[in-house]
This record gives sequence, C-alpha cells and structure tokens, in this order.
Amino acid sequence: MAPERLPSLPAASLPTPPLAGRLRSFLGLVIVVTIVAIAYRQTSFNIASLFEGTSDFFGFLGRLAPDWSFLPAVWKPLIETLQIAYIGTFFGTIIAMPLVFLASRNTAVEPISMWVARTLLTVLRSIPDLLWAALLVPILVVGPLPGAVALTMFTIGVLAKLGSETVEAIDPGPLEALRAAGAGRVATIVYAVVPQVAATMISYILYSFEINVRASVIIGLVGAGGIGFLLQVRLNFFDYTAVGLIIVVIFAVVLIIDGISVWARSKLI
Amino acid sequence: MSGAGSALNPVPRAFMVGTAIGSVVLLVVVLITMQTPPLERIVTGLQRTLPPLWRGFSRPDFELFPLAFRAMTETFFMAILGTLLGGFLAFALSFLASGNLLGGTRWALPGKAILVAVRTFPEILLAIIFVAAAGPGPTAGIMAMGIHSIGFLGKIFSDVIEGIDQGPMEAIRAAGGNQVQVFVFAVVPQVLPEFASNLLYRFEINLRSASVLGLVGAGGIGGPLIQRLQFRRWEEISMLLLVIIAFVVVVDAVSSRLRRNLV
Repeated sequence: MAPERLPSLPAASLPTPPLAGRLRSFLGLVIVVTIVAIAYRQTSFNIASLFEGTSDFFGFLGRLAPDWSFLPAVWKPLIETLQIAYIGTFFGTIIAMPLVFLASRNTAVEPISMWVARTLLTVLRSIPDLLWAALLVPILVVGPLPGAVALTMFTIGVLAKLGSETVEAIDPGPLEALRAAGAGRVATIVYAVVPQVAATMISYILYSFEINVRASVIIGLVGAGGIGFLLQVRLNFFDYTAVGLIIVVIFAVVLIIDGISVWARSKLI
Repeated sequence: MSGAGSALNPVPRAFMVGTAIGSVVLLVVVLITMQTPPLERIVTGLQRTLPPLWRGFSRPDFELFPLAFRAMTETFFMAILGTLLGGFLAFALSFLASGNLLGGTRWALPGKAILVAVRTFPEILLAIIFVAAAGPGPTAGIMAMGIHSIGFLGKIFSDVIEGIDQGPMEAIRAAGGNQVQVFVFAVVPQVLPEFASNLLYRFEINLRSASVLGLVGAGGIGGPLIQRLQFRRWEEISMLLLVIIAFVVVVDAVSSRLRRNLV
C-alpha cells in the first residue's frame, strides 16, 4: 500500500484539522442526533404499523387496481382542474408583477413600501396552497372559485419572490444610465429592467403553472373543485378501484404538463 | 429565439405581445366555459362569512395556544423525520442516477426516471394511501414526506455528484486506494456540504407540507385545523394560522442562515 512507498514522509507533516472545527462538527452531530431521537419519540413513528392491522400496505395497494370503466367520469373534473390552474397562474402573475418591483432593493419606491411588500410575500408563501384552499372554501362556497383564488394567492408569493431575486441580480448599468438621463420610474423599469429579466420571468411563470397544476389536482380534497373533489367523494365511498384510476390520471396529467413546461423552459433560457 | 432582438433583448417584442394576447384570449375562454356558482350566492355567502371571519381574525383565541403549539411541534418533528428518511433513501438512489459513477450517462437513466416519477407523484396522495393502509397519525405523514422527498433530493444529490472534481478520485486510485476508499475519501467529502444544505432546504419545504398533511389525517397541525374549518371557528383558526406562520418564518430564517454557513 501507499505508506510503504513513502517512508520518508513524517507523520507530523500531515495537516490535522483544527481542534475547534472538529469540536464544532462533533457538537453539531450530537445536536442533530438528539433532535432526531426526540422527534422519533414524540411522533411515535412506527414503520411496522404499515404492515400490521387488517390490511397490510402492499395488500392495500392491490385493492387500488384502477377501474378503467370509470374513465369517462373523470374528464369533466379534469378540465376544471386545468381551468383552475390557469386562472390562478394568470391572476397571480398580474398581481405579482408590480409587487416584484416594489420588493426588489434596486427598484423599490421607498424602504417602507419595500418592507411591506416583502412581509406580505413572506406571509403569502408561508401558507401552503392546500391550506389556502381549505381556508377559502368556507368563505367562497364549495367549487372551483376558492381553488382559483387559493392558487392566485400562492402564485403571488412564489412568483414575486423568484422575480425580485432576478431583478436584484440584474446589471445596474442600464438602470443608472436611464436614471442619469432623467427617465421616470416606469420608463426606467420598462427599458432597463424588463429586457434583462423577461426571459427568466416567462420561465418562472411557466414554472408557476407547473406548480399550480400539481396543486389544482389535490385542492379538491378540501372542497375546492376539480378532480381532487371527485377523489374525495370516491374515497368516502371506499370505492378504491375508482380511486386507483383517479390517481393514475392525476399522475399522467402532472407528468405531461411537467414535460411540456420543462421543454418550453429549456427553449427560453 | 435569437436574431430579432439585440443582446439586451433576448425575447423578441412580437413574441411577448403574441403570448400576452394569446393568454388573455385563453383566459376569456376558460372563464366562459368554467362552471361557477351564481354570483348572488357568492355575495350572500360572503355577507354571511366575512363579519365573523373579521371578528375571529382580529382577536385570535389565545387559550388555544398550548394545543396549537403542541400540534405544530409534532408537525415540526414529522418534517424532521420525513426529511431524514427521504435523505437516506435519496442518498442511496442518487448514486444509481449519477452517470460519472456508473461509467456512462445511459446507465443512470433508470435511476433518473424513478426520481422523476417519485417527484411528480403528489405528496398528499401518498399521504392518503398511507393513511388508508396504516391508519391516521404522524407515521403516515412521515412516510409520505419521506417517499416524496426522494424525488427532489435524489435529483439534487445526483447533480452534485455529477459535478464533483475528478482529481481527488484519480489521486486516491493512483495511490492504490480501492473503490470504497475512493468513495469515502474523495466523493463523500466533496458532496457532504451540498447534501446537508439541500437537506435543510427540503426541510423548509417539508415543514410547510407537514402542516397540511393533517387535512387528510396524516398527523400534525392540519388535523385540529380542518376540524375548526368545518365549524368556521375563526378565532381558533386564526390562532392556529398564527402559530403555523410563526414557525415557518422562524425555521426559514434559521435554516437559511445555517445553509449560508455550509456552502
């Protein structure tokens, strides 16, 4: 082995990592292990419970064998799902655009409005899409409307955050040139910022649509319309073969939309 | 995409105008064909729900705080275990999806396909399946998060592995190191910080999902929340929401700070 071929190398010349660094990683490891142990106890996580009881996990999967004769009943809610995703993306984008410039350091109007916009976006993003739907269903009547509003809210948070990161990373040259030439705020944004971020923004909008399709297939579980609502109904009837089919359809749709979106985005940037 | 615009304007104006007009037309079509409840029903519904909603949100029920905090702690722990489970499984799978370790991009294709499929499968559907199979509780939620996280983490992990510097691997091989030593001393030290950073990032995402998994009975704060949503107890709902938002914002801040130190 190697050491025999290098007899002259004194062991002391090998660098040893500093003690403080090793202590820190050791301490970090201890903290992580402790937290995991507590988490394990507190949640009484038990993987064996999947295979005990009346039906074990794989036996249950077998009962989900899709019933293809149920397929015609799926089309209408499926189209509604895509409609919800589209409306959410459209209005989310329209509302997010001005917020992008309000929340970016280099285009903000005032520090206070930037702070307000950023706080608003943080709160919007900290509430998951399904939770938005669950909150809006009691307010806006069961159906596609609360779903569309929920996705609008979530899209604003995601898109404005991604967008303002892009705007903050632009080349400041054109911005300063236009400001120095006395251009107004809107003109500066239109001619100095938009050309630099347009391609990236379109790509992010497509990405939001992708996320919204994934969300729109499930928000029906809490009553917000679309194919998820059908899934919830079939689940309540323990109609597992229909549930299996709906799961297959949802999976296929998400896979197709993802594929198209990834392809379109690769063409853009 | 090139040709029409200057270096500063990679997206041609005509393309942008066309896309804008097209998307508005599509919106009109969607709005016309979509079945929405009649407007007066929505308005009367709003008139009925908004006043109590406003009252509930203006004074959250602080008596519920202990319960909300306990439920959110459970959610937090679920996210930790789910992320960790996903991390372990993704760690194993990512090497089967990395072309440079398998000796060719095409050998990595089956692994990559599995990762795409797992990433695409909605997490909440996994939760429903696990709840139906194993009964309600945090275990179902942790399993759902663990399986779903494989898709994201496995993809990132294999990207990281494919991007590593070949130098240390060759050096250890040249010094007579075997495959295991190459892995332990050349691959692992290079990928560990990136792995840890992405694990933390995934944890931030999982904390958000863990707080909704309870809506389908998979444990955490979503359970108490959905019960109160059914009865529209807004002062309790607002308390639960406050705790969720506070947890998510604080965990995000701490985690992104840790991530900055790592990479």
